Amino acid sequence: MKFAIALYSAAHAPSSRRALRFAEAALASGHEIVRLFFYQDGVHSASSNIVTPQDEQDIAQQWATFVSQHQLDGVVCIAAALRRGVLNEDEAARYQRPGVNLKAPWELSGLGQLHDAIQTADRLICFGGP
Amino acid sequence: MSTLHVLSHSPFSDTRLGSCLRLLGSDDALLLSGDAVYAVLPQGSALTPLQEKTVFILEEDLLARNLDCPQWATCVDYPAFVELSIRYDKVNSWL
Repeated sequence: MKFAIALYSAAHAPSSRRALRFAEAALASGHEIVRLFFYQDGVHSASSNIVTPQDEQDIAQQWATFVSQHQLDGVVCIAAALRRGVLNEDEAARYQRPGVNLKAPWELSGLGQLHDAIQTADRLICFGGP
Repeated sequence: MSTLHVLSHSPFSDTRLGSCLRLLGSDDALLLSGDAVYAVLPQGSALTPLQEKTVFILEEDLLARNLDCPQWATCVDYPAFVELSIRYDKVNSWL
């Protein structure tokens, strides 16, 4: 079964953690994740500048590790990311901003990637809110 | 076409659960996660006729709130959540 997973919440929201646990369980059950699409506040879940207190789970880091480990297609909405200050090297240079907080394995791209993933996948699962 | 409706907002903070129940089809089911699991409280189910519906609850979120799984619901873990998302034709998350 092919899954497309869309995440609408930041790493500190419990829904970001639920999305990660769902994605892990999907792969563990032998299913495929065609794409992860981070949209709206979900772009914060891909930021590499997040500092989590030591006694809490670093969900942003866990996401990055998960995507790298399984070589998944982790796409961050470029319009949502720019307006929230989540920039990769190219965008930071383009808009002359001092910080870069989006690195591999994440890729900035457009909403078309979500549409494409929905067409390819058997199921679209969205996570967001609290 | 069957739909699994996924809720994560507390039933005491907004009207999502009520709205969802109004359009829940006979083949549809509800999955309560996050603060939505508070719907198992007697005060919650008194407001809504959950007992007559097919209700699943994410066990982890129930345990985190020290709540028990009521008889009218089925507790699920993440592998079972994945299985449910396949069993139903669509998954509709009430973001």
